Amino acid sequence: MSPDVATALRVHTPAAPDSLRERVAAITITPPAPPRFTLGRALRIAVPAVAGLSLAAALAVGLSSGIKNPTPPTSSAGAGRERAVERGPLDANTPSAATADALPRGSAEKAPAGPLSTARGRAQDVNSTLTLLVDGTDDLSDTTQRALRIARRLGGYVVGVQYATPKPGEGTAAVRLRIPVSRVQAAVVQLNGLGQILAQQTQITDAQERLDDLTRRIRQARGDRTRIAALRRERTAITRRAAFATLDLNLTTHAPREPNVAPGRLDRAVHDAGDVLAVELAIAAYALIVASPLLLLFLAAFFGNRAYRRLADQRLLERA
Amino acid sequence: MRCMRPVTTSLAAAAERHLDDVYRYVLYLTRDPHAAEDLTAETFERAVRLWHRFDASRGSERTWLCQIARTVALDHLRAEERRRRRETRYAAVTDPPTESDRPALSPWLADALASLSAGDREVIALRVILDLDPSEAGRVLGITQSACTTRLSRALQRLEEKVGSQRVA
Repeated sequence: MSPDVATALRVHTPAAPDSLRERVAAITITPPAPPRFTLGRALRIAVPAVAGLSLAAALAVGLSSGIKNPTPPTSSAGAGRERAVERGPLDANTPSAATADALPRGSAEKAPAGPLSTARGRAQDVNSTLTLLVDGTDDLSDTTQRALRIARRLGGYVVGVQYATPKPGEGTAAVRLRIPVSRVQAAVVQLNGLGQILAQQTQITDAQERLDDLTRRIRQARGDRTRIAALRRERTAITRRAAFATLDLNLTTHAPREPNVAPGRLDRAVHDAGDVLAVELAIAAYALIVASPLLLLFLAAFFGNRAYRRLADQRLLERA
Repeated sequence: MRCMRPVTTSLAAAAERHLDDVYRYVLYLTRDPHAAEDLTAETFERAVRLWHRFDASRGSERTWLCQIARTVALDHLRAEERRRRRETRYAAVTDPPTESDRPALSPWLADALASLSAGDREVIALRVILDLDPSEAGRVLGITQSACTTRLSRALQRLEEKVGSQRVA
């Protein structure tokens, strides 16, 4: 561009007339219209609000589920102990009673001998199972021998022994003992001292009613010697069985796996809240997928319209 | 009674500072001083309504006001074109700007400018009269900086040709 043309253009640039200056001054002192509700402003409010509501809903669901579902027992051992405590001493006079007592590790010294009290003068089937932890295979062998000695010393006998050491340093032994009922409590106490108690279970079934029934039927079967003999054999068998308690002693060198610790209330609340958030995100993603074709159409229409308007403006300016 | 006070000192000051620029820009676009006054006033009316959306980080006040002025002017030109088309259809009447309505330029320069398109006059007004840099002018026009430079170059070339032919004549 030649300098004279540029200079002429700049020199002769018109200024706004005074009337216009007054109009504009009057316009700019007009109070501004209150800000309108715009899409951008709505989004700036709506997006954090929706995010906050989603988070609040997730937290509310998580907390409510944490309150509704109290912490479950941490292990079956704990549950067994709670049941035993609730029941109190076993009432041997009931027809059938059982107790399970699984104790945590390291409680051998403090472990009670077990509430095993039989009713004197009544025939009862007593079955007790005891699981002990011992230190290594050497200790396993010694403990097995000591258990057998205890049984004999108390007037009992050994029904069977299973001893296995599948791996070096690891082994198990299963011993079935028959101990006179009158001395079963002493046997349990002594066997408990052989190792660390992992589990203990006792079952007592009353056999006295069956004996009484058999005695009544023998009296009624006068003259029928065969039947009387059969009934007497059955009564003798029950009496003999009730004279001895069966004691299953399980010895092991490896501790059972630690029970899975149930998550606490806070953990479950956080977990549930995370689940709810995941569901919300999944719904949002699904909605986005469903709406994406429409969104793409909208964007295409928006940008197409803008390009068309620009082209139309340019053509208008070329014509004007 | 409602207390009348400036919208904001910034807008009032911006109006004071950039009124001439906005007026010149609109005048070059329309070539009609009366229409330019009305459109400039309308530009500031819109600016009052939209002032809360002004973001200084995205451009200067002058650029923002020129963008509004361009929208207002384009609406006016569109309406004028519709009016002219309608009138041409029924009476074949057109009313080109009179000599008194033209900007106060030398006759040869005014004639050369009048022969240019509004698009050419617009880019000359922004880059030469208002002295906006290419990026600012491009933002007002909605085009890139390089496109703005190209458009200015072509517009000036055409203006030079017109001025040369006017002088020869």
